Amino acid sequence: MRSGFLRMKLHCFDRTFIRYSHSLNAVQLPAPMETHLWYVNPSEVKSESLLKQYLDILSPCERENVLRLQGKELRKSALLARALVRTTITKYQMSSPVEPRSLKFRKNVHGKPEVCWPSIDDWDPPPLHFNLSHTSSLIACGVTINSQIGIDVEEKQRSIKHNILSFARRYFSKYEVELLAAISDPQIQQREFIKLWTLKEAYVKALGKGFSGAPFKTFTIRFRGVMEGDSEAFNESSTKGFEIVVDSLDDPTDVSNIWHFSLLELDGSHYAAICTEKQSALDGKINIPGKLMVWKTIPIVEDEYVSGTDAVKIICGFQ
Amino acid sequence: MASVTASSVKFSSVSSLIKQNQVSNLKKASLSFTGNAFQSRRLPVRRFHVACAAKPETVNKVVDIVRKQLALPDDRAVNGESKFSVLGADSLDTVEIVMGLEEEFGICVEEESAQSISTVQEAADLIEELLEKK
Repeated sequence: MRSGFLRMKLHCFDRTFIRYSHSLNAVQLPAPMETHLWYVNPSEVKSESLLKQYLDILSPCERENVLRLQGKELRKSALLARALVRTTITKYQMSSPVEPRSLKFRKNVHGKPEVCWPSIDDWDPPPLHFNLSHTSSLIACGVTINSQIGIDVEEKQRSIKHNILSFARRYFSKYEVELLAAISDPQIQQREFIKLWTLKEAYVKALGKGFSGAPFKTFTIRFRGVMEGDSEAFNESSTKGFEIVVDSLDDPTDVSNIWHFSLLELDGSHYAAICTEKQSALDGKINIPGKLMVWKTIPIVEDEYVSGTDAVKIICGFQ
Repeated sequence: MASVTASSVKFSSVSSLIKQNQVSNLKKASLSFTGNAFQSRRLPVRRFHVACAAKPETVNKVVDIVRKQLALPDDRAVNGESKFSVLGADSLDTVEIVMGLEEEFGICVEEESAQSISTVQEAADLIEELLEKK
């Protein structure tokens, strides 16, 4: 009798989730120069039934990869990452011929993942670009149309095993090392290091050529005063009037004119760096600052628009 | 309260699904390869590249560095076949592992090479290759 009661409860639980998924609306594609960011906090996903539903929408290959990972939390965040990217991308279809489980991915010539849409008569696939990043405690997916995108998220408090300056001397550019070395407060230095790391990762991911395509030492990312155009001593508490730019030591072209950077704080706990192509680089038009739209989500279950709330603090790069 | 119990009932069924791939492929390979004649010796893991596989000491040092970087529990098996990503290394961990290897062995690993190593064995092989060139 007791097990019958439990079975009944489970049945109700499953039905609840099916009802929720029908009520989630399709989302409008980002406008040009608009960036959409979807993120999920694994600790808010507790239902084993829901995790099983996520496992069901993965491809066999993805499922195998997830189950092979060692450690329950690692498997959970990897599972959520695939569920997030599949459910997010399929939200953008005007009619819905492709379900999350049917989405196919391929890698470009450099290994960067992209969507492989089916060819269906009288249907144009949404022209979107995406990039995924995950830590054990937050998973994020950025979406744009017509612009390459790279994102990276990291815990604000992430500490590294090596001394920060030793690490920076080995991997970062001379300018970046000097900037970090000038910070005397170790906690501020640690946070600035993490910010720089996420920005550099986002850039390499946007380029889509892999770590060796743009070795970290070969480019500098810095905050530049918008008015003066000169670098200023960085002040953590005020980044208004600053923009983030990249200088490439290898590339003679002015890459700072091509790539737009933004840096956010999510849920007060994570930094998220986003790198996209500038409008002017894409179509020669004057650069219009982009808009950012952020949703906190539990895939299949609920989406919460959080732009303008405390969950999203824009450090630099968006209005 | 009842719904909490319900999810813990479900938990075991998904957990067992997740647990079933834990058996190390390594064990199967070494059993079929070593047979009886080699029981007294510990051989390197790779079956087909014995001539240029890294020394066990190198592999063990790599294992130590990986264990420390990822703060793995003692009961987590790590060997030559272990993939960094499967052990839980993200990109920052991987870069730190490479830096740890550079410090331990006194070598310099180029980005192209770093990008191509995904297992402990590959790291150990690359280290010995770089040491030979010095």
